[in-house]
Amino acid sequence: MINKVKKVLNNRELFLVFIAIVVFFSMTAGRFLSLDNVANILRNTSIGGLLVLGLTLIMIAGDFDLSFAGAVSLLNLLGLIAIDKGMNMYLAFFLMIVGGVIWELFNATLVVKLKMHAFIATIASLTLSKGIIYWITKGSTFFGNSPDSLTFIGRFTLFKILPFNTLIFIVMAVTVYLLANRTKFGRHLYAVGGNSDAAEYVGINVNKQRIIAYILSGICVGVATVTLCSKLATAPSTAGDGFQMQAISAAFLGAAVFKLGQVNVGGSILAIFILTTIENGLIMLNVPFYFQYIVQAMILIGAVSFVSKKSKKGEGPAIF
Amino acid sequence: MDQNRVILECKNLCKKFDATIAVNNLSFSINQGDILGLVGENGAGKSTLIKMLGGEHVPNGGQLFYLGQEVKWKDTHEALSKGIGIVHQHPLLVESFTAEENIFLGKEIVKNQLIDNRQIHDQATEVKKVYSIYPNLNLKQRVSEMSAGEKQVVELLKIFSYEPNILILDEPTASLPKEEAERLLHLIMELSAERNLTVVYISHKLEETFRICNRILVMRNGENVGLLDKKDFDRDKLIRLMINYDLKEFYPAKAQGHGEKILAVKELCSDTLTHINLEVNAGEIVGLYGLMGAGMSDLAKTLFGLRKFASGSITLGDKCPEEIHTTNVRQMVDKGVYLIPEDRLRYGLVSTFNIRENASLAHLKHYFPEILVNTKKETNLAAEELKKIHVKYSDIEQGISELSGGNQQKVIVTRWLLRECNILIVDDPTVGIDIGAKRDIYNLLRDLTAHGKGVIFVSSELNEIIGMADRIYTMRDGKITAELTADRINQQNVLENIL
Repeated sequence: MINKVKKVLNNRELFLVFIAIVVFFSMTAGRFLSLDNVANILRNTSIGGLLVLGLTLIMIAGDFDLSFAGAVSLLNLLGLIAIDKGMNMYLAFFLMIVGGVIWELFNATLVVKLKMHAFIATIASLTLSKGIIYWITKGSTFFGNSPDSLTFIGRFTLFKILPFNTLIFIVMAVTVYLLANRTKFGRHLYAVGGNSDAAEYVGINVNKQRIIAYILSGICVGVATVTLCSKLATAPSTAGDGFQMQAISAAFLGAAVFKLGQVNVGGSILAIFILTTIENGLIMLNVPFYFQYIVQAMILIGAVSFVSKKSKKGEGPAIF
Repeated sequence: MDQNRVILECKNLCKKFDATIAVNNLSFSINQGDILGLVGENGAGKSTLIKMLGGEHVPNGGQLFYLGQEVKWKDTHEALSKGIGIVHQHPLLVESFTAEENIFLGKEIVKNQLIDNRQIHDQATEVKKVYSIYPNLNLKQRVSEMSAGEKQVVELLKIFSYEPNILILDEPTASLPKEEAERLLHLIMELSAERNLTVVYISHKLEETFRICNRILVMRNGENVGLLDKKDFDRDKLIRLMINYDLKEFYPAKAQGHGEKILAVKELCSDTLTHINLEVNAGEIVGLYGLMGAGMSDLAKTLFGLRKFASGSITLGDKCPEEIHTTNVRQMVDKGVYLIPEDRLRYGLVSTFNIRENASLAHLKHYFPEILVNTKKETNLAAEELKKIHVKYSDIEQGISELSGGNQQKVIVTRWLLRECNILIVDDPTVGIDIGAKRDIYNLLRDLTAHGKGVIFVSSELNEIIGMADRIYTMRDGKITAELTADRINQQNVLENIL
């Protein structure tokens, strides 16, 4: 009996967790399942979701990125400055995406070409981004002039429940999912992260795969920035910071589902929904703000130890 | 005639890593359809040679000819696609993939840009059927959940799926259970006979090599020291070529007598050991031998204090007559009992330390009771001791990983002998090191016993334990099954008692 249940569950326990959480909040917090609130959850998930998609690709390849939140803040700032000075909004959006790619290419150079430890290298680039931001803004939020249409993507909601930026996220999520799980490129990426010697032996260009993973994540970072920019229409120096912990936690939490012990796209997507739902639920319950941190930390600890315990080898997803 | 066409030829192949010459001016040729055995001691250069044949290493000198043309492989993939495949001893597989995903890694079948998992499964099933070694293999199972033997089969199928002309096998039956090993051997002979498959077969199992190979290449110190045809296969001749010594002269002379008891173990029981009773006298090398998992290493670790025991006692001779019922490492070290562990890379060396730091590690507290470590004193101490067992290095500040296996092992020995011992326990001390270093370690152990110390020698090699031990305790399932003294020490008696 237990085995039958296990088979159906098949590493999908996290789904049950998600349902349980939704049930819990809908019973304890008023208006949790209202159209407005659900739309809000979806809107918040989009940005973190886009970021975790990129991060997941990098982690599948066996690398890491700590700098994406800083890149988002920086690109958002630069984009808004350009728009303020008269640049066409769509051009600015396009350049934000290009900027994301350039940023991650910089990371790739450090990690792949210069063979720095991904962790260290991206801490460095994160710090660099903050330095540049503060240099420009001196710490204050940049407001700038922008056309009204700027907030279209960020605030428009289809049928009152589907925010436009969620649509963008869904399209990207499906694309990245197919890329990672159904294409040769994706299969090779998993191989590079799983055993680069085995990959090399059959002719896979390990470094090329890793660099492409960073580039693809750059696109995700860029699109996330466009989405955030469209929502905020301002450039606080810490615009992206809130998503840092969330995206990283989601990536690790995602390793607890679908491909146990292995960071994967499907898992990351489910995880980010869980995290934003919890965040929203806690706010609806008027829980003090610092509680969010504690909850997030416990989720991360819980996720990694769950994965370690269940993985055959007793090791968690490797990032080092 | 196809049968006798030279398919692969090496002329003066050389390969060196930093200061170590791994392959030295090696020349030989293989005919199509040959099953060539490649034998030699650990460190003889066999792995390096096949890696050059298969594109993993680039030779520093010499030429490689494949099908009559000179080739300089760019990478393994080029060699593989041209027909030379290496089946590694430790399979190169992605643990999180299934067997069929691993088999088709790099050549996934694609339909409309997406991977066609159905086709992959079908074709993998075909390969499994054609190269039938293990029909029950579940192709859809994750490799991480497979046994070592199953992983080896996946690796074999992966290479077979490329339909190679030359198949290079590095100790393929080492992790295979009996039945599968047999099937593999049959398969190889069949493929060679029916499809003219050429095979290069590395194995330490000489009987197996004699059975399936038609020629044998013997390597020693990176050189070709003999290329034998089937009619000249002779075990003694082969061994003599491999180690260049007559087995009888290889080990130092055994002890003629012994002194007083310096270690007595009575009725020791632990989670893996039952009723262990043994003794070591001054001047003796006491051997522990059994099949893998029989408990020798556990016993060694328990005597050293690394593992706890539940009941029984350990006494350290007349000088320390009190019975010890619980041990810890610090206590045993202070009493002069040291352990040189198996698997030096995992349990011995600190890979990030240099030679000096590794050498001084065990007795730092004893020599430097003050807070700071005096590096100069440390260096002198270490250098002097390292010289005694002829450790070859260029600079004591050198990273330990730059040393050869034999020299690394000597550093670990030095680490302990920096301070006088009473009993030295060694667990498989000569695994994977060259002949010269082996001899040095054997001589060192004899030297210790000549000075009245005792040695407990755990070995996984029958000839070694017979050659070195004055007395042998055989083990099976955590128990001691027999004690063999001088005249009763021979292959038959030992083997009888370990099974």
